Amino acid sequence: MVKNHHMSVKRKIGQVILYVVLTLIALYTLFPVAFLVINSFKPQADIVGSPLSLPKTWNFSYIVNAAEQINFFQALGITFLVTVISVALLVIVSSLAAWVMVRNKNKFSNILLLMFTAAMLIPFQAVMYPLLSLFEGMYLKNITGLILMYGGFGLSLSVFLYHGFIKSVPASIEEAAVIDGANIFQLFFRVVFPLLKSTTATVIILNAMWIWNDYLLPFLVIGNGEVRTLTLELYFAKMTSGQYGNPWELIFPAVFVSIIPIIVVFLFLQKYIVKGVSDGAIKA
Amino acid sequence: MQKYYKKWFLPLALPSIILFLFVILIPFLMGVLYSFSAWRGTYFAGGDNAFEAFVGVQNYVNAFQNDKFFSALVYTIQFTLIAVVVINVVALALAMMVTKISKASGIFRTIFFMPNLLGGLALGFIWQFIFQIVFSQILFGGDNPLISIPVLTNMLQDHYKALFALVILVTWQMAGYMMIIYITGLNNIPTDLYEAAEMDGANAFQRFRVITLPMLMPAITIVFFLTLANCFKLLDQNIALTDGNFDTRLLATQILRTTRDTSPPDYGMAQAQAVIFFVLIAIVTLVQVSLTKRKEVEA
Repeated sequence: MVKNHHMSVKRKIGQVILYVVLTLIALYTLFPVAFLVINSFKPQADIVGSPLSLPKTWNFSYIVNAAEQINFFQALGITFLVTVISVALLVIVSSLAAWVMVRNKNKFSNILLLMFTAAMLIPFQAVMYPLLSLFEGMYLKNITGLILMYGGFGLSLSVFLYHGFIKSVPASIEEAAVIDGANIFQLFFRVVFPLLKSTTATVIILNAMWIWNDYLLPFLVIGNGEVRTLTLELYFAKMTSGQYGNPWELIFPAVFVSIIPIIVVFLFLQKYIVKGVSDGAIKA
Repeated sequence: MQKYYKKWFLPLALPSIILFLFVILIPFLMGVLYSFSAWRGTYFAGGDNAFEAFVGVQNYVNAFQNDKFFSALVYTIQFTLIAVVVINVVALALAMMVTKISKASGIFRTIFFMPNLLGGLALGFIWQFIFQIVFSQILFGGDNPLISIPVLTNMLQDHYKALFALVILVTWQMAGYMMIIYITGLNNIPTDLYEAAEMDGANAFQRFRVITLPMLMPAITIVFFLTLANCFKLLDQNIALTDGNFDTRLLATQILRTTRDTSPPDYGMAQAQAVIFFVLIAIVTLVQVSLTKRKEVEA
């Protein structure tokens, strides 16, 4: 009894220590974000002079100004459009390809899978310059081209994830559906696709997180054009004014408004996102 | 049914194949070819195409003789080695702590994971300010510092200090993501193993070494792979923090900036650097995966 009691006291102390350490790390993790929020309400002099203090007044004018400067609503719309269309394209083409690849066990489908998988080793920089020159030659150095490029770059991982899952889906249901007279699209979208829900969620989450935040590809493809994604607007806001010292009263609120949509989506879909991340990593 | 699937194989796989060809395979092969030519981006010097402007391995020789490229190569290797170790240790420690507490572990997971959602560029801008003003003028330096630690001041203006600034930033950003993978791995270890070891009198450190580590090898393989690849290819954070100034370019930044360094822009040499970059990544990741996989089998 005495020993047990001793153990439980020891356990409790251990738990208290764990909570203290974790809370400190959590504060450290949250610090840059909290820091961003308070400095989004301050004039330049206060940001540089006393960055750690709360704003004297919660003045929204800096946020409004930043939102205007970075064409927030247009950029948000563009980023949303690019992300949604790219992800939809990826989901459809990669699930279709993975499905027929699993159902056709032949040399060609093996080679195809090997190629898709091996391509995961190719860094973006290795194809970047030729890709741009190729797409420019096809008049695709624009939003459409950008979406197609995301389709290509996201393909490997997506096909791989779907392929791994579909292997465990029995083909017998499909046969029954074909005998009942389903055509190929009914067969895929009504019978097969609904079974892939969990993989589809993973594919959507992994690709959306990457595409939404991507900087380099939009920079190279649309650059300083009229329509820009949120990351591009941020980059140009910082770089163009940066030569006269950093205009933090513009940058902080601009970063702040640009991350609000992600935080909101995350808070709603937290469970799925965390699951998608760990599933995606483990299957890959 | 086999015939039916066969009939639909090509039509349904075709969109993927076309995307793959035009976005990955053709540009990749073009890239390898162009790296042996005097490519200038919009034209070839000394010919109408890559074959006429063929220069052999000259671009590769130029790349290795280029101080900036060599420095970026060394810097990338140093950064990757340090960052991979730090991120892994932090992520594993977080995962072990979060799985040991009885309540509120979900909140901690959410908080630690959150930095991952934000783009490298946005985060880089915030941290740039933290390093330049908060660290240098308030906490660790300036007229009236909280604690004077000169090493932590003006970190972005120094070749080596900036390396650690980058490590701090990517650890803050990636550790939570890797923690999630480690948590999944930890939850797959049967608890009776620990109970048995405890009865045999194994202490906490022995239990970690004999049970946790070997059983966690699959998760370690994945986390090592992801951190290694992500750190080696890091770009956004490098650009946002120092923009490669003070000799702090990573390879990805170096390849991007080469066309700006040279006049007329030497795309041929940039592409040679990109091919070297690809070969390095392929070797490093393949070696790493086969090494850690071997450990998995032994365990």
